[in-house]
Amino acid sequence: MSAAHTQERQMSSDGNPYRPWPARITSILDLTEKEKLFELRIIDPEIREAFQFHAGQFVEVSIFGVGEAPISISSAPSKQGFIELCVRNAGDVTGALHKKRCGDVVGLRGPLGRGFPFEAMKGNDVLLVAGGLGIAPLKSLINHIHDERHEFGKVTIMYGARNPSEVLFRYQFDMWRHRDDFNLMLTVDESDDAWDGEVGLVTKLFEKIDVDPDNTYGAVCGPPVMYEFVIAEMRKKNMDVDKIYMSFERRMKCGIGKCGHCGVGHQYACIDGPVFSYWEAMNLQGAI
Amino acid sequence: MAPRVVIVGLASDFGCQVQMTNIEDDLLDVLGLIDLQYWQLASSGHMPEEYDIAIVEGAVTTQEHVELLKRLRKTAAVVMTIGSCADTGGILALANCVDPDVAYAAVYGKGPEVARGRRAPGPVDAVIHVDYRVPGCPIDTDEFINVLSRALQGLADRTPVDPLCAICKTKENVCFLDRGEVCLGLVTRTGCGAKCPTLNRPCTGCRGLAPDANLEAARAAFVSKGLDPTELERRFDLYNAAREVTR
Amino acid sequence: MFFRVIDKERLPDLIAGLSSEYEVVGPVEKDGRFVFAPISDPAQVRLDYDTTLLPPKKWFLPPKETIMRFCRADEEVVDDEVFAPPRVLFGLHPCDINALLLMDNVFLEGYVDPYYKARRENTLIVGMSCMPTETCFCNVWNTDEVHWGFDIFLTDLGDRYYASLRTVKGAEILDRHVANRAVSDEDTREFQRVVHRFKQGFNNNVDTTQLPVLLDAKFDSPIWDEIGDACLSCGACSMVCPTCYCFDVADRLEPDQKTGLRIRTWDSCQFKEFAAVAHGQNFREDRASRVKYRYYHKQWGYLSKFERVLCVGCGRCARACPAGISPVKVIEALQTGEVQ
Repeated sequence: MSAAHTQERQMSSDGNPYRPWPARITSILDLTEKEKLFELRIIDPEIREAFQFHAGQFVEVSIFGVGEAPISISSAPSKQGFIELCVRNAGDVTGALHKKRCGDVVGLRGPLGRGFPFEAMKGNDVLLVAGGLGIAPLKSLINHIHDERHEFGKVTIMYGARNPSEVLFRYQFDMWRHRDDFNLMLTVDESDDAWDGEVGLVTKLFEKIDVDPDNTYGAVCGPPVMYEFVIAEMRKKNMDVDKIYMSFERRMKCGIGKCGHCGVGHQYACIDGPVFSYWEAMNLQGAI
Repeated sequence: MAPRVVIVGLASDFGCQVQMTNIEDDLLDVLGLIDLQYWQLASSGHMPEEYDIAIVEGAVTTQEHVELLKRLRKTAAVVMTIGSCADTGGILALANCVDPDVAYAAVYGKGPEVARGRRAPGPVDAVIHVDYRVPGCPIDTDEFINVLSRALQGLADRTPVDPLCAICKTKENVCFLDRGEVCLGLVTRTGCGAKCPTLNRPCTGCRGLAPDANLEAARAAFVSKGLDPTELERRFDLYNAAREVTR
Repeated sequence: MFFRVIDKERLPDLIAGLSSEYEVVGPVEKDGRFVFAPISDPAQVRLDYDTTLLPPKKWFLPPKETIMRFCRADEEVVDDEVFAPPRVLFGLHPCDINALLLMDNVFLEGYVDPYYKARRENTLIVGMSCMPTETCFCNVWNTDEVHWGFDIFLTDLGDRYYASLRTVKGAEILDRHVANRAVSDEDTREFQRVVHRFKQGFNNNVDTTQLPVLLDAKFDSPIWDEIGDACLSCGACSMVCPTCYCFDVADRLEPDQKTGLRIRTWDSCQFKEFAAVAHGQNFREDRASRVKYRYYHKQWGYLSKFERVLCVGCGRCARACPAGISPVKVIEALQTGEVQ
């Protein structure tokens, strides 16, 4: 594990890592039918100050009476005082969260897990590939790269969604379409009349790019079926196995390596991941 | 506004409705959460036309029950079953093990024509979709409150799918199989806290077959413990004879 | 380490003395088997016990435990205090003490679990020597010996105990509550003879050569399907295991729905929904993958972090499994390619 890929662990101030801290919902944005973007602000100023994270890390959102759910952070670490969570209404906790209104309070624990090796990526080209909700953790990385754009070479973003209505963060991507310092490639499986982007699987976009394998880091996040195919394309471009990073979704319950639910191969997704290098993932039996 | 609730009994001994009165200390709290419009056990009036949650006890044994359930399903946003009879057909479903001609002749001295509209006893979910269930004979009041609370919050049904052995182990019970006694815990749906084994009674399967049960492995386990493997299903029929009907 | 000798007939003095200061938990009989339970009279303690139904982990990680109380209106925790009375666990065998050391790695390393920690800190451990039973295989993992993780360890020399004193507290309570004397050369010689006899007594020996390699290399072996077919997915193995620590956390509202409890309960990777995520994907849907995961984690996952296997050879799972699946059989099957 490189030094840049480590992160210090943060504890709640009273030493109980299971205890959620109240955070206020400061904004809610409807992204699609199923996904909303929540902006949260931890109420206790000391806890808020201590909340420093890396792109790729996650939090446990707690709604008392319902439970906790792991949600990856979508905003950049450079955005201080607030965090953004892109949440799909898919279960009890996320369903209850979707019913919350601006100004309501929820519980928050984190930041948790190991994020992307941002420091190691500096000075290199970056190729980011997202499928569906996988854009949520990658958006944190994208925004962080944006904030320190001069530290990076070529930045390519590939993002595939099922159809145009499921494209997340469209407002931001629309804004970036004409920027020449981001090569933004959106694709949908099924298009509609209004769609003027690519149609087809995200892997098809690889035909359109050149990769300098010695100086490129990859970051991949999407549904489990996607990894194998995206990695195959990256390997075709001769990218190194230890320069491709991927974020795994598993059943992270405690988020701190105790409860055992998120076991993947011989590791726990919550503390050893959720971001793993492809080399690490290859060594995790049953991971891909 | 509190959700309007009706509590309806099909064929049963009303034991689970009685059990609901045993909530005692917490009964007023529970009643405070809902607008109880009809409780068959305690009401003499009629069922209202509109309601949000239908709680159903008892097995389906007549065509009339079928009609009632269809009406409940159409009206209520949430249907919740309580007790083995509603959940698996319960003890009533044992009737399925006997030829109806023989059974009726034995009881009434006549054939099945004495009970028109009768159908083979079965569970509620053989007729309509069930959203939440509280299995067991009788129901556990804590589990009932918890399931009702989940229903009120609109949370997903979390009826356990695993067998009983794990919780029984946490109670430090000596395994009945090891004592050469038939126990059905290894295939029965957990969630009861292994009450019976803890009171030194083997599990009789009142909570139904655990969806993740491995029956073949259970038969093999019976054999290895020197027990007759056919006893597993024979005993399981006590509360689960209708599973043949619903398959 | 310091050593003292106490006469066997004086042992009740120690238990009675400890009872005046602590809640004393020891092995007592239950329906022909044994359990660790609070004792009121030294005569209840059955130091001849073979093994207990549940391991001592329940005194540190209870099967069901409220970790916090909350108020829904404020979305805030109102209480997360830990109840950890001063307690002595009396008569633990080496396997169980070693198991606690393995649990310590999980709960006291990295993020510290405050509930486990408080109980661990408030609990004294008095160990007791044992003799191998039919299902014991601690010899396989070298957990038949224990050198730390206890305050006092008593080795039965027939008419007397050879007491190893690991901590200041252990030395103090021994001195305070029971007549004891210095160890003679003959005592130590007898100690060695006893330990030697103990080591000769094991039935089970299994080849554990290169287990992590085997587990990786045979990840797709049909052996796992065979074992999976026999498994009841009942989770009994996890419950009785002194080193299985997985748990579930769920909220329960009080009947008035205004306040509630966040409760953790023992869980098992053998349960169907253990690795299922909200979107409906289940990463270990079939039985074979779940059985495999249990062994894979114990003999390789944990080892990759803490350089030990997560098994102490207590044999409880072998006794508890209705299908007779045991680590010895599984490892043998992996080594030979055949399920016996």
